[in-house]
Amino acid sequence: MSSSSLTAIDRPKRMRRKPVEPLYYFFLVPTLLFFTLAITVPAVIGIFFSFTNSIGIGDWDFVGLTNYQALFSDPAIWQSYFFTFGFALVTVAVVNVIAFLLALGLTQKIRARVALRAVFVIPMVISGIIIAYVFNFLFSNSLPALGHALGIGWLETSILANPNLAWIGVVIVTAWQAIPGTMLIYIAGLLSVPPDVYEAADIDGASRFQCLFRITIPLVFGYAVINMILGFKNFLNAYDIIVGLTNGGPGTATRSVAMTIVTGFNGGDYAYQMANATIFFILAVIVSVFQLSLNRGRNTL
Amino acid sequence: MVSFHNRSSARVGALLVVAMAASSLVGGCGSNSQEQIRFAFSKREAIPFMQQVVDRFNDEHPDIHVQMDTSGIDVTSASFVRGNPPDFALANYNMETSRFVERCTLSDLSDTPAAQKMSPDFGPLLDEYGECEGRLSAIPYSIMSAAVIFNQEIFAEYDLEVPQTWDELLDVADSLKESGVTPFYATWRDDWTIGQGWFDYAAGGMVDIGAFFESLRAEGSEVGPDSSVSFAKDMEKPVEKMRYLVENYTNADADSRTYGDGNLAFAQGKAAMYLQGPWAFNEIAKTAPDLQVGSFPLPMTNDPDDLKVRVNIDLAAWIPEASGHKEAAREFMDYVFQPEIIQEYNASQLGFTPTIDAPPPDDPRLSGMIPYYGEAAFYQGPSVLVPKTIPIFNYMQGIVMGQSVTDTLTTIDADWARLAKRN
Repeated sequence: MSSSSLTAIDRPKRMRRKPVEPLYYFFLVPTLLFFTLAITVPAVIGIFFSFTNSIGIGDWDFVGLTNYQALFSDPAIWQSYFFTFGFALVTVAVVNVIAFLLALGLTQKIRARVALRAVFVIPMVISGIIIAYVFNFLFSNSLPALGHALGIGWLETSILANPNLAWIGVVIVTAWQAIPGTMLIYIAGLLSVPPDVYEAADIDGASRFQCLFRITIPLVFGYAVINMILGFKNFLNAYDIIVGLTNGGPGTATRSVAMTIVTGFNGGDYAYQMANATIFFILAVIVSVFQLSLNRGRNTL
Repeated sequence: MVSFHNRSSARVGALLVVAMAASSLVGGCGSNSQEQIRFAFSKREAIPFMQQVVDRFNDEHPDIHVQMDTSGIDVTSASFVRGNPPDFALANYNMETSRFVERCTLSDLSDTPAAQKMSPDFGPLLDEYGECEGRLSAIPYSIMSAAVIFNQEIFAEYDLEVPQTWDELLDVADSLKESGVTPFYATWRDDWTIGQGWFDYAAGGMVDIGAFFESLRAEGSEVGPDSSVSFAKDMEKPVEKMRYLVENYTNADADSRTYGDGNLAFAQGKAAMYLQGPWAFNEIAKTAPDLQVGSFPLPMTNDPDDLKVRVNIDLAAWIPEASGHKEAAREFMDYVFQPEIIQEYNASQLGFTPTIDAPPPDDPRLSGMIPYYGEAAFYQGPSVLVPKTIPIFNYMQGIVMGQSVTDTLTTIDADWARLAKRN
């Protein structure tokens, strides 16, 4: 850092002289082009249409902010935001705690460590919709059958059929799929902690718990922040697992924001859901900026 | 609020279309002089039948090649938005299609031979989904008529008659219950089964659905507590009656049962009545090929003259304006509308053929509905006349699971008004 600040004064001159390696442009331009075509342009078009009454086809008129007004008075939209953010927060917490504990276990010197790691990673490579259908069957048939056989009353009806509990089913299945990826990042983090700090702690007579809370957790906290950002972003976009498990039901108890936006394409509500997507985009940007600032602060520690 | 048509906005749209056309070119080129037609058809049970029809057509018409696209209605809808719709479709006629109709994206078919033979009863049904001034945008191909499916063996065992009034229905249900038979098999896990069966039969048996939706559309954004019609006012009675049946006469585990479970359980004689459409007959027959089943309209009032069956235009034919192969598509359309093909198709799917010269179906399982169908004593289900963006299936699922009827219906009114306001 200090050397770069010393040379900062004569740097611009040198920069001007040194030609930029054309290879960089070769990498950058196609990516930028595709990103613009596939992400930026559609996003701008979508935001544009959120001020119209377009249904995706045919004629349309400008309607100003009508869609946004309707959006804020729509209880279904409010509920989908409430559900999505609540679900994302709970799932991030559940996933990170379990993944961290698993990672701790799998980095210790235990038997069949490598084989166990492989087993725990399997859910990551299965498609979400398939996991959802399998769990749907388990929740709706296997568990009630078990409850019936054992005479446990509350187990006899599927939790997916209970409007107050269905979200728990969604959290369980999402966590089941998301834990391996998170766990791998934690394993990488735990392996990067140099063994000599533990040795030093050992010599100083630190207990197991002190090692965990004073050394391990602070040293892998950067990884936790990464996991939380990635996880939160993924869970906000929750779609396939919910479709396979509850399809937004029972009632409208588990409709996520992404699901309501998709209805805009096949339900003839294009402009309105584009307005919804715009709001969601702005919220996502706010959340990312907040999380990134958190991360930046942590990295300099 | 500024509201004006905009030329330059069309330019943005045109740009989009050009980009899309470029991408579709990549997929569409490379063929020889043969004219390629994309035919959207996604009724799963009937795909083998339709594939045979397509193959025969392709053999007989070397200059045209029909390619069947079975990817489903959502993909078809999205293809309109992307600007490359199929050239011809036989598709479920519902609110999805209605927006293609209302924005005049489907071509006029009134000069086709099929239009001349279309039964006049169905014009008003088509119009309930909206119309494009001066055009016949779609022609019905297959009508499904739905009512209560009942197990004739159980009815005979307990000496029960087909009920004609609400009171008789309750008597039948009570005596079944006393004998330890579940009167109705319900499958709440699949929300559509509540919409198409329970809600539609209950509402259609008491309310004039066509008139209700016409007034509802006229009220538009004014729908609410003060409007002349509303869900909260007009649908409350039928929904309360529906809930009465639900609470007293359905299987205890209905909350976690699905449509597939229902077909199996009904075929095994676990319940006497089942609120499903004719598509369930073939599923039931897979488990119990010899089971005697029949059908009757759900009585919701004490006047037998109010009895009606639910119909829906299961398949309607249409050709998008944007298709580049309209002539070839019409040739294929004439082919599938030949009397022997359309009638054979409907016989295989237990549907009614909506042409003036077609005889009623002869399947005994449908015979309980034929008199009502013949007199046009039918209605289209309200659950399919509500725009898809209002999640009415989910709302009805909420009601059968115990949510407040009044609150839910008021929510639907508010959704309706909000939708009308922004469109």
